[in-house]
Amino acid sequence: MSSNGSGSELLRIEGLQKHFPVTRGLVFQKEVGSVKAVDGVSFSLNAGETLGVVGESGCGKSTMARCIARLLEPTGGTISFEGRDITHLGRADMRPVRRDMMMVFQDPYASLNPRKRVGSIVGEPLEVHGVGTDTERKRRVQELLEIVGLNPEHYNRFPHEFSGGQRQRIGIARALAINPKLIICDEPVSALDVSVQAQILNLLKDLQDDFGLTYIFIAHDLNVVRHISDRVMVMYLGRAVELGSRDDLYREPKHPYTGALLSAVPIADPEQGRTRKQIILEGDVPSPLNPPEACHFHPRCPRFVDGKCNVDTPELVQHGSHLAACHFPLERWPMSEDEMRRRTGAASVPVAD
Amino acid sequence: MTQFLIRRIFWAIFLFLVATIITYLIFWVIPSDPAALAAGRSATPADIARVRHFLHLDEPIWKQYLRFVWQLVRHGSLGESFVNRQPVRTIIGKDAPVTASLVFGGAVLWLSLSIPVGILSALRPRSIMDRVTMTLVLIGISAHPVWIGLIFSYVFGYKLGLTPIAGYCNFFPGTVGAQCEGPVQWAYHMILPWCTFMILFAALYVRLIRANVMETMNEDYVRTARAKGASQRRVMVQHVLRNSMLPVVTILGMDLGLALGGAIFTEGIFNLPGLGREIVGAYNRADLPLITGIVVFSTIAVIVFNFLVDVTYGFLDPRIRPS
Amino acid sequence: MAAAALEVKDLSTSFRTDDGIVQAVSGVSFHLDQGATLGVVGESGSGKSVTFLTVMGLVDPRQATVRGSVLLQGEEMLGASQSRMRQIRGRTIGMIFQDPMTSLNPVKTIGWQLQEAVLIHQDVSKKEARRQAIDILKEVEIPRSDQRVDDYPHQFSGGMRQRVMIAMALINNPEILIADEPTTALDVTTQAQILRLMKKLQAEHETAIVMITHDLGVVAELADQVIVMYGGKVVEQANVDDLFAKPEMPYTWGLLGSLPRLNATGARLDQIPGQPPSLLNPPSGCPFHPRCEFVMNVCRTELPGLDASTVGHDHRFRCHLDDEARNRIWTQKKAALVGEDAA
Repeated sequence: MSSNGSGSELLRIEGLQKHFPVTRGLVFQKEVGSVKAVDGVSFSLNAGETLGVVGESGCGKSTMARCIARLLEPTGGTISFEGRDITHLGRADMRPVRRDMMMVFQDPYASLNPRKRVGSIVGEPLEVHGVGTDTERKRRVQELLEIVGLNPEHYNRFPHEFSGGQRQRIGIARALAINPKLIICDEPVSALDVSVQAQILNLLKDLQDDFGLTYIFIAHDLNVVRHISDRVMVMYLGRAVELGSRDDLYREPKHPYTGALLSAVPIADPEQGRTRKQIILEGDVPSPLNPPEACHFHPRCPRFVDGKCNVDTPELVQHGSHLAACHFPLERWPMSEDEMRRRTGAASVPVAD
Repeated sequence: MTQFLIRRIFWAIFLFLVATIITYLIFWVIPSDPAALAAGRSATPADIARVRHFLHLDEPIWKQYLRFVWQLVRHGSLGESFVNRQPVRTIIGKDAPVTASLVFGGAVLWLSLSIPVGILSALRPRSIMDRVTMTLVLIGISAHPVWIGLIFSYVFGYKLGLTPIAGYCNFFPGTVGAQCEGPVQWAYHMILPWCTFMILFAALYVRLIRANVMETMNEDYVRTARAKGASQRRVMVQHVLRNSMLPVVTILGMDLGLALGGAIFTEGIFNLPGLGREIVGAYNRADLPLITGIVVFSTIAVIVFNFLVDVTYGFLDPRIRPS
Repeated sequence: MAAAALEVKDLSTSFRTDDGIVQAVSGVSFHLDQGATLGVVGESGSGKSVTFLTVMGLVDPRQATVRGSVLLQGEEMLGASQSRMRQIRGRTIGMIFQDPMTSLNPVKTIGWQLQEAVLIHQDVSKKEARRQAIDILKEVEIPRSDQRVDDYPHQFSGGMRQRVMIAMALINNPEILIADEPTTALDVTTQAQILRLMKKLQAEHETAIVMITHDLGVVAELADQVIVMYGGKVVEQANVDDLFAKPEMPYTWGLLGSLPRLNATGARLDQIPGQPPSLLNPPSGCPFHPRCEFVMNVCRTELPGLDASTVGHDHRFRCHLDDEARNRIWTQKKAALVGEDAA
């Protein structure tokens, strides 16, 4: 049973934006457009909760994670951590905040400095924040190695002497070093073998229970997100298209994109796979350089209504049990593609069929 | 495309200014008296002062620089040598073909050697041929051109009498008072210099090409080509070569541009009247206009070749077309 | 009963490396029926990719030692001449690989690359080859194929490039298509498109497909027969329904149990401890024994034979546990899984 997040509000994101300017010009660079990697995302996170963020390439989930951790400077919106606005804090002011907010990255082969010994890698946060003496730090590092399931005597080994799964454990140990409150996990299991994924997922859950951690868990694998999250947010081209509790979202998705995502995931059960109704979207995910007008999803949406979906940007509002950004949310689930096209719903605009 | 060109021209002008200003600054800082050198041994202090005034050396350095720029822009002139009052343009015009002969001829030789050798080595890594090649490469890189030049001169020129050991012949016949002329004599005199000049480059390029070919052969698309049933020859020619040669083109352009500034060592050993030898002499005589002139020529050569490289690269690699 | 399209018996591939001999594949046997789909499941170090690179003759003969037998429609491929292998590659067997971003030559148009596939094997004019290229692009659902045929790979998205790869592999109408993790690098919605495309093309061309993947969901969707590989060996093989209904071997149980499922609540996943084995120093006896929760002494010394299951047609597995123990364990594990499903 996962944690339920009954704690107080830890993180609040409002209208977060991150735009990367595209410049052109001979001598003086002029901004001719921007890649709106994150285009107005809002949510709040309570202590002890896990928010799963799911989406495909170009949806902005990694960029959002980096903005929250202030590895990138947001272009707009606010980030509040424990009630304090940290959106544009300077380096010195951010320092104490960084003790409470750590990240675990995707690539276990790239996120550890190959020239440093494991003990030094895990102990670095302690060093940076001036915690404890050398001996105390060493003891803490060995403690951490044990907590994540590694042999504390491997303190002096180099990353290349470990497997992918073990390296990811090292990354997690590093994130735990100074007792953060929030850990942002950016695709932490995507690069791991299936049999090792389960180990890391179990580890993350255990750590959450033991240390009262709050997670933002970013992944593209819906099964993984389902397993570990309390609430789930679905992103598409820089925007949040659906946000709700895990059970609600997976049982009754409201946004057609969420429905398509859920039905696209192959099911490890031949019987079910044969009988279920699958929705296959046409086309590719559009480039964030030139997103479609109004609702970004409208060119691929089976429920598209000309004159509405390409004119009015849908807001993330309450539809039933959770939030969705859609003018014609799904009435029930599962639905086949044909059923999706037959939308009901009060449209004051003539429905094109 | 036009944007690309315009940006390049801006850069060219900027580089030209930087290079020439630095030249003048260095000249200003170093302790030398070109007036005295130009005036000659038997000059009196009064003579020297007159020369100094005549050569504008009594003016502040920035004024001398502006005078230089004005001369260039207005008259297209690079000034006159302090020493013999010859127009710098003429001097360069005489020397450049010599250096060009050396550099381009050498380039043809080194490419003809390094490309096949590099490819063969890459195809059979760690074979005996490969190991021998790599050892020779190491020697080629470590040996100094002067040393190589002297050995060649001695063995082939002096001892065996196969080739001349010094001097340059004009490619085009009909120069007044030349000792030798015509294409055959030209090539004959250039053989040793070419061989000397090209060894270092050949060694470097063999190593580069070998590494690139080996890397390209491990690329996924080469595996795809094999999976399609392509023969080894087709795989090499159509898939490996073009992709592995791209970095070679870049480096070749840079090397040619730089070398045109004067292959100092080789020209010195074989007494070729090229830009390299000229600029060494100019330093010794603190001949500022000549030095600046050769610097300008060299800068322009580098810019032009970099530009050519970019255009060629865009032609070869569709991902990088300026559009 | 049609002859098998591909029959592999006791295939072994080992590589000479600086660190020693790597036994990538040992004693692998399976067959692929005409027009059917074989799923090959395994993780890193399972030997699944090397097996098929060996079948295709794409392993470097200077470093690799290959033993066993590979019968392609009755013809022995191991030991065949290089030119015969080249005839087969791209004509009788097509292969597509994992990363579409790097699997196409970046400096040639996709039309050129497709034409190359045709011209290597068919004695036709360039014009005809181009026509075939445009046709196959249309078949793999690339819009405006007559224009896009002159585009370069970097002008296509990942999903599109994978379609081009499929087109290139199928353009000569091969009997077999080997797909090595074709959708692993793609987004999930794109993956669904590609899988649907592959099913469609298989139906139209009656191609047999080998689907190499670590994703059991993909296997469930596409495969008729499945082999599970571990440590360079086949540890279980069955038809797809049997494999998921009654897996007979601890590694397969572990794989199925460790999958987070869409329908399950957040209970603890059935994890397999440790990591996939090194093929430099493969474990003795059963390759899975270091990680097996049911390991017995015999497992450490003796490799279990590929025994037939009592259930299911042509269902084989390697395990020393007796039938009764296995039935008991699986019933328990299944209850745990179903219990989750019901929630």
